[in-house]
Amino acid sequence: MANVVALGFDIGSSTAKLVGVTADGKLAFHRIEPTEPRIEDQATRMLAEARAALGGGALPVVATGYGRKLIPGADRAVTEITCHARGVWEAMGTPGTLVDVGGQDSKVIVVGAEGRVANFAMNDKCAAGTGRFLEVTAARLRIPIDEIGAVSLSTKKSVPISSTCTVFAESEIISLLAHGEHVENILHGLHRSLVSRLVAMVRGVQPRAPYMLSGGVARNGALRAFLAESLGSEVLVPAEPQLMGAYGAALLVRQG
Amino acid sequence: MPASVDLPSRTTVIERFKGQGGRIAAVLPIHYPRALFRAFGMLPIEVWGPPGVDKSTGDAHLQAYACSTVRAGLSFILSGAGEVADAILVPHTCDSLQALASVLLDFTKPHQMVLTLYVPKAERASDLEFLGKELRRVFGRLVELTGQRPTDAELHAAMDREQQADEVLARLLSERGKLGVGNREFYGVVRSREYLPAEEFASLARAALDKWAGAPLPKRTPILATGIMPEPMDVLDALDEAGLSIVADDFAGSGRRLYKASTAHDPFDRMAKTLLSGSPDPTRGCGIQPRIDHLVDLAKRTGARGALFYEIKFCEPEAFYVPLVTRGLQAAGVPCLAVEVDITDPMPDQLVTRIEAFAESLS
Repeated sequence: MANVVALGFDIGSSTAKLVGVTADGKLAFHRIEPTEPRIEDQATRMLAEARAALGGGALPVVATGYGRKLIPGADRAVTEITCHARGVWEAMGTPGTLVDVGGQDSKVIVVGAEGRVANFAMNDKCAAGTGRFLEVTAARLRIPIDEIGAVSLSTKKSVPISSTCTVFAESEIISLLAHGEHVENILHGLHRSLVSRLVAMVRGVQPRAPYMLSGGVARNGALRAFLAESLGSEVLVPAEPQLMGAYGAALLVRQG
Repeated sequence: MPASVDLPSRTTVIERFKGQGGRIAAVLPIHYPRALFRAFGMLPIEVWGPPGVDKSTGDAHLQAYACSTVRAGLSFILSGAGEVADAILVPHTCDSLQALASVLLDFTKPHQMVLTLYVPKAERASDLEFLGKELRRVFGRLVELTGQRPTDAELHAAMDREQQADEVLARLLSERGKLGVGNREFYGVVRSREYLPAEEFASLARAALDKWAGAPLPKRTPILATGIMPEPMDVLDALDEAGLSIVADDFAGSGRRLYKASTAHDPFDRMAKTLLSGSPDPTRGCGIQPRIDHLVDLAKRTGARGALFYEIKFCEPEAFYVPLVTRGLQAAGVPCLAVEVDITDPMPDQLVTRIEAFAESLS
């Protein structure tokens, strides 16, 4: 394994991501686990395991994500907004506008020179614009979360779904199913609904191209395609979209 | 750390004032003539919410999208907490406050006298004339309530005292960047203008200035802050912890109420001219460009490196301006963060993250 010199630890609401980088900023190590309720215990264990796997030496750590202040021994806590901007800039090699769809919140970040945050917006105390929106509705439709994008793209018919509230959307889906609507059309509508909220946030930050997408949801082809269609521009996805926050955190160790 | 400024609570001030035979007016936001009440021996106590009130009482009377300032204000009055007041003044600041006045006057009918005041949006001669008449109407109602009729000289004397207090407040805000004090303590003093008698506020604020002027300056990033008011005040702690210091104030409750002195001979003309002389204010329908120009100038004068738009959810007059004004500021090189809060809720953790991210982007 390449010589890892720093760690970035992103404790999100759904997953905990730990990344190691080399002296020249390459992503050389990573671990992903579902976030546990006892964040401090999980962080301590994951860090010990990573250090053992990387040769046992002490490595500097920058923590990020909603659990960033609960990581024992972290050298610094930095918000996920700063870390995502830094990570995606390094991964994609360009400023632009990043849409990050997380489990608990969604962010739109205008990434400036050297990965600095030029502007940003976050969804407001609501799951309707987040990955949780898709998780909840996919569960109701009994379609595995990894397959909902492909199912959505299998149809051109879109059933309008309210994007106001995840709970209300779930009720709406139950009604649609009761009226005999096809699952793929409902899923198509759900993706359109989520994208409409994301695009509203994008419009509010004076975006600049290129557009980029990160977070676990970035692997969903329908979300990417509908976002590109709504923005009228290609949407780039880094090789490891779920790791951009942790990657940025690890890179920030070097910046002090 | 400098010693804290000893601030009396609203309750203490009210009890003391009433104990001396004075009357209390509960006043809703934003622009109103303090001096007019003081000339009648009444102390205006401003009701900006308040936070922490069970707003369900007010919610029953209002549409769901009324802001939390109005919902909490109405709940506060209906809960009986405002019983200490002898009169309630509701300026027509926005549609929601106008609705609040209607609920009080036409439906719930509290035993106190309910006064309204329409402050015009523009500053034409006709607006001054209209506001002068409005003020005379309120004067007449206060004569009914108190049985007193202050002379012109007494009205001018009351206005002189308010003017002096405003001058100290202006000094406090303009010298903010040189004062060794955190956001929380600073705004404790600034916001005491909402309930202290003018002469007491002036004295307390002067003492605070002396105390803070010699204290070491904390290393913080200077910012401009705007919105209705910094409530819940926990946000000020979050700003302190993120290393941000508000050096430029454009809050409706403080910076936008630094009125210019008027020398008009007639006391009502003087009061009207003063009330219409504040800085460009969305709640008074100001133009977009004058507002951008004012905020850019304020940021430049104070060295603010970014602007925080701290808005109350569903505050329409403020919300309509935010996209265009933030765009104007950003074009002028002032990065902006716009957030919304409900003053009756605890401060959300997401808000802290946004403030920290904003601080990181400015550092």
